[in-house]
Amino acid sequence: MDNILEVSGLRKSYGNFALKDVAFSLPEGCITGFIGVNGAGKTTTLRTLLRLTDKEAGTIRFFGLDMEQNEKQIKDRLGIVLDDGCFYEELTLSEMKSIIAPAYTAWSERDFKQYMDMFSLDPKQKINTLSKGMRMKYALALALSHEAELLIMDEPTSGLDPLVRSQLLKILTDYMSKGGKGVFFSTHITSDLDKIADMLIMIDNGSIVFQEEKDALLDTYRIVKGDVRALTPDLRKLFLNISETAFGFTGITKQVAEVQRLLPDAMIERPTIEDIMLGNIERGNK
Amino acid sequence: MLLHLVKKDFLIVKKYVLIMLVAAIAIPPVMLWRAPEYGGVMGFILSVIFAVFMLLQYVSLKEYQCPKASALLCAAPYPRRLLVLSKYIFCMLIYAICCLIFGIETIVATQLGTLRLDALALMFLITAIVVGLYLPTQYKLGYEKTKFAFVVIIMASPVLTAALLKMDGMNFDTLLMAPPIFVYGGMILAGVVFLIISACLSIKFYNKVDLA
Repeated sequence: MDNILEVSGLRKSYGNFALKDVAFSLPEGCITGFIGVNGAGKTTTLRTLLRLTDKEAGTIRFFGLDMEQNEKQIKDRLGIVLDDGCFYEELTLSEMKSIIAPAYTAWSERDFKQYMDMFSLDPKQKINTLSKGMRMKYALALALSHEAELLIMDEPTSGLDPLVRSQLLKILTDYMSKGGKGVFFSTHITSDLDKIADMLIMIDNGSIVFQEEKDALLDTYRIVKGDVRALTPDLRKLFLNISETAFGFTGITKQVAEVQRLLPDAMIERPTIEDIMLGNIERGNK
Repeated sequence: MLLHLVKKDFLIVKKYVLIMLVAAIAIPPVMLWRAPEYGGVMGFILSVIFAVFMLLQYVSLKEYQCPKASALLCAAPYPRRLLVLSKYIFCMLIYAICCLIFGIETIVATQLGTLRLDALALMFLITAIVVGLYLPTQYKLGYEKTKFAFVVIIMASPVLTAALLKMDGMNFDTLLMAPPIFVYGGMILAGVVFLIISACLSIKFYNKVDLA
């Protein structure tokens, strides 16, 4: 499988925050979730990838092409959904489209109309009258109407109700079914990724914590519950984080077999992506 | 692509375009009616200043109010260079429209005089200088700081103009003795050169801007 995006040694600093040698790759045909808490560096990474801000070091290659030398050609093949739409509020949907569409060589008016009908959007409606969900759908209609090969979205599900979020996930699944596509979306709502992501990349405090296939990742970690009195110092070292109460402890570990050997009576559960994300963050904060 | 970005600037201030159009049409005859001694070319100069700078201000205000929209355009295949150049073309297009309006008015109302090359050249140079100073400053300092700086300049302009007029050694006689075609051609050429240098600076500054 070819990589649709390859990032290496990416650095960017703002005051007391910095991206530190960020490196990852996106394989073609995958929905990749870019996870991390607020302020972890997700938006900065996406903005740097799109050259909305200058990087200090590193290389960015989309479709095997260097971003610095082929920016226009690459952007022509990307679909972009930025958080909250990023539109001129007083324009109508049709007027905003008339600004965006000429930038793309493969713009399809037919596809755009189809998406507008599918999302029940009125081209004459003003952008400032749209709900958050409708804005996101409109942003998707713009991003998907020019045969984009990679869809990049920054927090698309943030602030959306469960129904719209589930519609969005369905649209992404349909988009991927066309083949030869990729989706890269940042989010801190990990439950959406439980449903559709193939690959997960986690960033924390400006550094990549892991990049793994979702199923492999979920198989690697386990939540362990047991009696606090059984927690020896050696056992504690096997956990990413432990929360303790008077009734017992709950911890997350990658070393399941070793924990099971030392604590045969412990209760073992499969974690969610959020459990893994929080476990890694808390380990980083120790 | 460039023309679509110019269209974008007109679209985001569409509410004000009609008002400015009416102002550009009305100012010369109103000036002639209320202050005949300043009618004609002075009305034209005022209409250009009013239309160009008010609309440019409104565009800048709208861009300032929707900063993420510029990010979306730059995330699309629009080069930043074109976003900058579209602003210059936008201003010069308004100048051209004002010239056209005044030209038609002078045909309809002969009391307004004629639209001469000297007025066109002088107004082009003035527009080029102000736009050429304003846009790079805005790309470098941002909308708020630039607005403040220009308010200070506008407030200081009566004092500065008076001081300039009192300065000894300012003699334009030699310049006026040159053939008019050279004088006015020189003004237009100077305006164009000023705009080119200004646009290069604006592009350089905007390429460094972190978009929201």
